[in-house]
Amino acid sequence: MKHPMRSTLVAAILAAFAMSAHAADGPTVTISGFGTAALTMSDTDDAQFVRPNQVAGAGESVRTGVDSNFGVQATAKINDSLSFTGQGLVRKIARDHYGAELAWAFAKYKINDDFAVRAGRVGAPVYMISDFRSVGYANTMLRPPQEVYGQVNVDTLDGVDVVYQHSFGDTSVTAQLGFGRTKVNLASGANVKYSPVTALHLVAEHGPFTVRFGHVVADFSVYDSAAFTGLYATLNRVGQTKAVNDFRITDAKGSFTSLGFTMDYNNILVQSEYAVRKTDTLVVHDTTSYYAMLGYRFGKFTPYYMYANAKQDDARTYAGLPNVPALAPLAAALNGIVKAPLQSTNAVGVRWDFYKSAALKVQIDRVTPRDGVGMFVNAKPGFQGPVTVGAVALDFVF
Amino acid sequence: MKTTIGMMVLAASLCAAAAPASAEIAVIVNPKNPATRMFSEQAAQFFIGKSALFTPIEYTDGVAIRNEFHTKVLQKDSAQIKSIWSKLVFTGKGTAPQEFKSAADVKKAVAADVSAIGYIDKSAVDDSVKVILTVQ
Repeated sequence: MKHPMRSTLVAAILAAFAMSAHAADGPTVTISGFGTAALTMSDTDDAQFVRPNQVAGAGESVRTGVDSNFGVQATAKINDSLSFTGQGLVRKIARDHYGAELAWAFAKYKINDDFAVRAGRVGAPVYMISDFRSVGYANTMLRPPQEVYGQVNVDTLDGVDVVYQHSFGDTSVTAQLGFGRTKVNLASGANVKYSPVTALHLVAEHGPFTVRFGHVVADFSVYDSAAFTGLYATLNRVGQTKAVNDFRITDAKGSFTSLGFTMDYNNILVQSEYAVRKTDTLVVHDTTSYYAMLGYRFGKFTPYYMYANAKQDDARTYAGLPNVPALAPLAAALNGIVKAPLQSTNAVGVRWDFYKSAALKVQIDRVTPRDGVGMFVNAKPGFQGPVTVGAVALDFVF
Repeated sequence: MKTTIGMMVLAASLCAAAAPASAEIAVIVNPKNPATRMFSEQAAQFFIGKSALFTPIEYTDGVAIRNEFHTKVLQKDSAQIKSIWSKLVFTGKGTAPQEFKSAADVKKAVAADVSAIGYIDKSAVDDSVKVILTVQ
């Protein structure tokens, strides 16, 4: 899977160069890039701190793989209406080594000043900062809060979207509606296919204020999960077919609805999102998550504080099995599956714009898991929070 | 001693003459552009990607007028502008402005593109471009 992607990206970039080479007044190609070089560590080896869908993360020894990434983007503008954009991203996700992904590869056709259509692999606007969450330089915080950004692991859509942009007086409005499908590899070795996905993204900007609403609905199925195959076999053997349906991982439906707000006024920065996830399977939980960041820009230094929290809206125990001793181990397993990872984070950090096109960030997170290990991975038995996580990151664009 | 001080004063005044602290900035468009007047806030929106109606023409980092324009008209520092454009570029929603080293190059670029908008020192204005806003 990875190799064809990589070669497609190379081909796209080469094609972009080739086009620029033989047409002096035709297409113009711009290459730009971004990256983050980061070190992350925590105060415990009993569990590892990760970004969403990473296999291994930071403990007491410093790791580079949690917050580091590198991306290159090429845009070939054929004429005023048509352009091609490709973006390659290198980071650690789903596997414990750096892998290259073709993040985007789309053709954009501008119908008029207000409407544009994009087709190919486009960014999935699940969250307020979905499109630039990998670009550390474009963000105040060192990383998006995982309480919210860990709820849906869809980054891209293979499909089409329509983007509408218009200014009404001093208010500019962006509306984006996308349809498509995507496949996401999971840290467990399984993979999820989302098809179809419908994503709506509405943004209104007025001076220093931005309000954003997002709504994503999708059908999804998990494949190649040995754990679930085994679970269904056991449930069927003991005649618990209702449980098989309650915990199904094929043809499940889910939605993710979020409201976001940002402000950049008199050097006061605010960024906040509130999100609700709902599904019809007990394997993926109904949750409410939110965060709020407050920062203040003192010239080149921007200190900030952030609070994030993830809660579960459906039951944390499963009552669908008969209460008999023979089924107790199975009930314990199902009661484990129905529990969403719960945690809250208090973080302080500072961004220093020390050089043009580069910023240095330091962030300390105090993460408190509740009723379980939260969003930590590889937890040892008896692991308990809270955990302090520290990170230093150098963000750059070129 | 006296001559040294005299030289320093002379040097200082020469420097001041070479780089006036607050020259007037002229915001310019192509002569074929139907726009005639613009408020500062209107001109600013093209340089921070809020409107794509006109195509902004910028200076490379380090050119003095760039910082002055960012502070006076866009009311942001250059790092903020860079961050705004990196958001637009890496969301595929915009293309960062073309950048030039001199007023002559900016004038040439504006004269060549009907939808272009740029800015130069007022003293550099000529018939190849049209002034739609002057900022003190």
